[in-house]
Amino acid sequence: MSRIGVFICHCGENISRTVDVERVAAEVGKLPGVAFATDYKYMCSDPGQGLLKKAIREERLSHVVVAACSPRMHEKTFRKAVESAGLNPFLCEMANIREHCSWVHQDRKEATVKAIELVGMMVERVKKNRVLPTITVPVTKRALVIGGGIAGIQAALDIADAGYEVILVEREPSIGGHMAQLSETFPTLDCSQCIMTPKMVDVANHPRIRLYTYAEIERVEGYIGNFQVTVRRKARSVIEEKCTGCGVCMEKCPVKKIPNKFDQNLGMRPAIYVPFPQAVPNTPVIDRENCIKFKTGKCGVCRKVCGPGAVDYEQEDRLIVEPVGAIVVATGFDLYSIEEKPKGSPIKGYGEFGHGRIPDVIDGMTFERLASASGPTGGKILRPSDGREPKQIVFIQCVGSRAREKGISYCSKICCMYTAKHTMLYHHKVHDGQAYVFFMDARTPGKNYDEFWRRSIEEEEAVYIRGMVSRLYQKGDKIVVMGSDIAVGVQVEIEADMVVLATAVQPQKGADALAQKLGISYDKYNFYSEAHAKLRPVECATAGIYLAGACQGPKDIPDTVSQASAAAAKVIILFARDQLEREPIVARVREAGCVGCFYCKKVCPYGAVEEKEIRDRQGNLVKVVAYVNPGVCGGCGTCQATCPSKSVELDGYTDEQIVAMIEAL
Amino acid sequence: MHDNPIDTSIYAAVTEAIQGEARRILSEGHVAAVVGYAAARRKGSAQPVVVTRADDAGKLIFSAACVNNLAVYLTKARKEIPKSGKIGIVVKGCDLKALVGLMGESQLKREELYLIGVPCAGVLASTIQPDTALTAGTIAPKCRECDAHLPTGCDFVPARQPVTPELEKHYSAEIARLEAMTPAERWAYWKGQFKKCIKCYACRQVCPFCFCEQCLCDRNKPQMVETTPRPAGNFAWHIVRAMHLAGRCAGCAECERVCPMDIPLNLLNRKMAKELKELYDYEAGFEVREKGPLATYDEKDDQSFIK
Amino acid sequence: MHPEKTKHAFEPKIIAFVCTWCTYAGADLAGTSRMQYPANVRVLKFPCTGRIDPVFILKAFQQGADGVLVSGCHPGDCHYIAGNFHARRRFAAFRKLLEFVGVDLGRLQFSWVSAAEGGKWVEMVTGLTERVRLMGPMQEFKELALEEQWSGAINTPELQEAYNSI
Repeated sequence: MSRIGVFICHCGENISRTVDVERVAAEVGKLPGVAFATDYKYMCSDPGQGLLKKAIREERLSHVVVAACSPRMHEKTFRKAVESAGLNPFLCEMANIREHCSWVHQDRKEATVKAIELVGMMVERVKKNRVLPTITVPVTKRALVIGGGIAGIQAALDIADAGYEVILVEREPSIGGHMAQLSETFPTLDCSQCIMTPKMVDVANHPRIRLYTYAEIERVEGYIGNFQVTVRRKARSVIEEKCTGCGVCMEKCPVKKIPNKFDQNLGMRPAIYVPFPQAVPNTPVIDRENCIKFKTGKCGVCRKVCGPGAVDYEQEDRLIVEPVGAIVVATGFDLYSIEEKPKGSPIKGYGEFGHGRIPDVIDGMTFERLASASGPTGGKILRPSDGREPKQIVFIQCVGSRAREKGISYCSKICCMYTAKHTMLYHHKVHDGQAYVFFMDARTPGKNYDEFWRRSIEEEEAVYIRGMVSRLYQKGDKIVVMGSDIAVGVQVEIEADMVVLATAVQPQKGADALAQKLGISYDKYNFYSEAHAKLRPVECATAGIYLAGACQGPKDIPDTVSQASAAAAKVIILFARDQLEREPIVARVREAGCVGCFYCKKVCPYGAVEEKEIRDRQGNLVKVVAYVNPGVCGGCGTCQATCPSKSVELDGYTDEQIVAMIEAL
Repeated sequence: MHDNPIDTSIYAAVTEAIQGEARRILSEGHVAAVVGYAAARRKGSAQPVVVTRADDAGKLIFSAACVNNLAVYLTKARKEIPKSGKIGIVVKGCDLKALVGLMGESQLKREELYLIGVPCAGVLASTIQPDTALTAGTIAPKCRECDAHLPTGCDFVPARQPVTPELEKHYSAEIARLEAMTPAERWAYWKGQFKKCIKCYACRQVCPFCFCEQCLCDRNKPQMVETTPRPAGNFAWHIVRAMHLAGRCAGCAECERVCPMDIPLNLLNRKMAKELKELYDYEAGFEVREKGPLATYDEKDDQSFIK
Repeated sequence: MHPEKTKHAFEPKIIAFVCTWCTYAGADLAGTSRMQYPANVRVLKFPCTGRIDPVFILKAFQQGADGVLVSGCHPGDCHYIAGNFHARRRFAAFRKLLEFVGVDLGRLQFSWVSAAEGGKWVEMVTGLTERVRLMGPMQEFKELALEEQWSGAINTPELQEAYNSI
């Protein structure tokens, strides 16, 4: 027989003003199973909790119902109190008679009746509550970081410096990401490579970081603390352990004229190459599509000239399984490829502003490569079409961004600042040139950001024109840019030598496919979704997976680095414990009733349901049933509502508990 | 009109072909047993049979009295079926749909079955008088709207083409009739029907999809559905059953055939099938699908009923 | 200060099945904002609409509910990724079944109410309560519960006699 204790809170006057709390206590005291019922001014206060604990001990209570505010407010408080008095915390329930009763009704009689019923329902429910032991899962203290840009590098270094092993996986042949491509960075104009490459070297030299470049995530299984990640190391055709990075192969490679993606296809590279001189690792990769050896079987020069014998044409993709406890996703961004519409993209507006048709209409990243001292022009701003220095240059902001009608409604956040930077870089390099910027608004929140933007206008002579470009066309070797200056209200026409488009920031290609492997959610643009926009900005809803950088939304470098360190801190917090405790609201399978239709498995959003074989003593297969991995289960209960025989039950929300409440109506 | 005979002349040749194929697969050791129909004692009647020896293959028949859906013998009524080895089974198009559904629900494996499909012009609505001729009046209601006279995807189908006259569709007409009523009228109709229920659970017993070892409706902790055959419990039972069969039932109508109280149970199932077709363009029984319409979703699903 | 309360002849019982993350929180917000709505509703909290079994709706009607409200997170907002999407299909089918057996769907309301939509919660509860109040009590299930089994359909004189003699 239950000995239920019911505690009615006045909440000062918040409840008692409308609800006759003494009456409620008196009425519910009569319910079968209720051994003790009382009311008190503030149940959540120290004396209130003391009252609760004392009653549990003295009245030998088996279950507790606290009728007070919303359980979202104080359920944890009271469960803790109950636990400290020696009862299992899940034998305590709350009846919400404040938010759902006293605050929303004025009629004292009605509110009192309702409160009595609400408490009565919880009394019936709590009778069916079971002792739920806390679930503990072991933690593998190794982290996986996906993406080797600045976000991934920062997260990997922080976690490794804290003493844990890190697996860093990068899709490209070198780490560095977009930051390695940049010339100089706002708002300080320090050289990107100067601050980036030491960090890349740190990664390469770190004893606790294992670096897999030219590798991708094949499969992710498991759950927080216990992931099994399969990494595909694509065939590099060069054995990393043997290669010394001397570069002779690249010098001797007969194919030299392959556009280098790192240089936005402006520079050329051989078929065996490193994307840029400071690449980490400094191990070349053979581009099999363009290599003569792979195309015709002839050549083989690189193998002949390689002293250490590192070139291996037979190398195949390798799959490596890595057990990790936490995952940081830092896959970064890509620029809106305005030139060509990717298959299936819901976004409109491709092919605008002559990009892809007029060679001297380039995007921001291409400008970075032109301005970079290590870029294809050695840092000279030259037109891709004829190599001449542009004397009139037009920058257009918000290309794609903030254009709801075209499908991208967000602000790409970094363009205002980098365009201001571009005008400065241009002014520094082409002293007699003139930069114009078409812009909607200048968005410059950030330390020293607005000062930087003002400087581009006030000291670096950039002309900002508020308004959008209506038309742009080639005329001779000029590009005519027509737009309106809405500040003055006149039409503007500029004969430019070069046009730079600040195209929108988008997630990397394949971001959605990776999210599906990881089981994390993403928005309609494929940016990954954080668990809470404000309070859990670096965690995914899927436990054990964290976000860093622009894969979650457009970000500049300081924000990216901050988030990466925050994600690392979250990982380190997780690794500080040997065992992980989680709320035991998980689904359990009653194997006797399960017939293995696996409807539960089909609807589980977490992939928590596995197939389990039941064998008799002789080892003969009796049946295959479902098994819910408590570490993975999110606790939604969709499985139970779907299960035809109700052979899977969500602890804390069992059919018995719910039906008891309905029957108490 | 009702006496219009339906041509079942191919059934003799079909019987012969079934016997030949069963004999072959049993003697060659392809299968451990064949589940089919055999003649029963009364003239014209048929009953399910499990044949394990090639010599017994001659027992197998097919006639308009072969009403049973044999799929249940592969799942919950396996008592006479050998535990190991491939099983051959004689299936009409409607029965095959159940097998297909069961494969999607991990209850059967295609590679463990040898399917002998039956070209079927229809079976009798009732076998109380098994020697009745098949006519537009005596044909089972489900056969009136059959879209699977020739089963597809079987291992063997006798090369016969059933002649199938166009018949007035029973369930579609009934559904339309009920849909045109007011809620109160519909309630009265079903109340009258469910009132008759004696909770014998023959519908559950015969249903290939009621394969749960412990039915939700038999549980008492908590008691979701009142078990006694009182109107309230009857109503709940039939609603729960219809919901559990939604998106799964392909209309073998065995529940309706075996119901001793003549409750039009398949009408509920056809209504649900119609709704799921309209909502999610899903029809059960045509291909083995991992997820039925209620085990999956589309972000763009209709939600006009949700405020 | 208190507005005069209208007395109604019939006060319906409304039961609401809600998910804890969105609608329950939305109802909490209605409370913290001191919005007012009829006291007829009793809220049952679930982790997710995905947990809500159609049987519960049936059970609620059988237990005397005159109206049932089912409410959860807007599509895309589910705390459990997709529970509400599964629920949406399940309820789309179930309401059609209820309608077919003669339940007036005016008594059954589905809604998406987010944690920020306290006002919408009030609107839903008030709307359903007022509608059901006009419809009157849900007699159908209550009557069923009172009826004893007796098979009228096989009403032969012999059976009638046998029944009477029991």
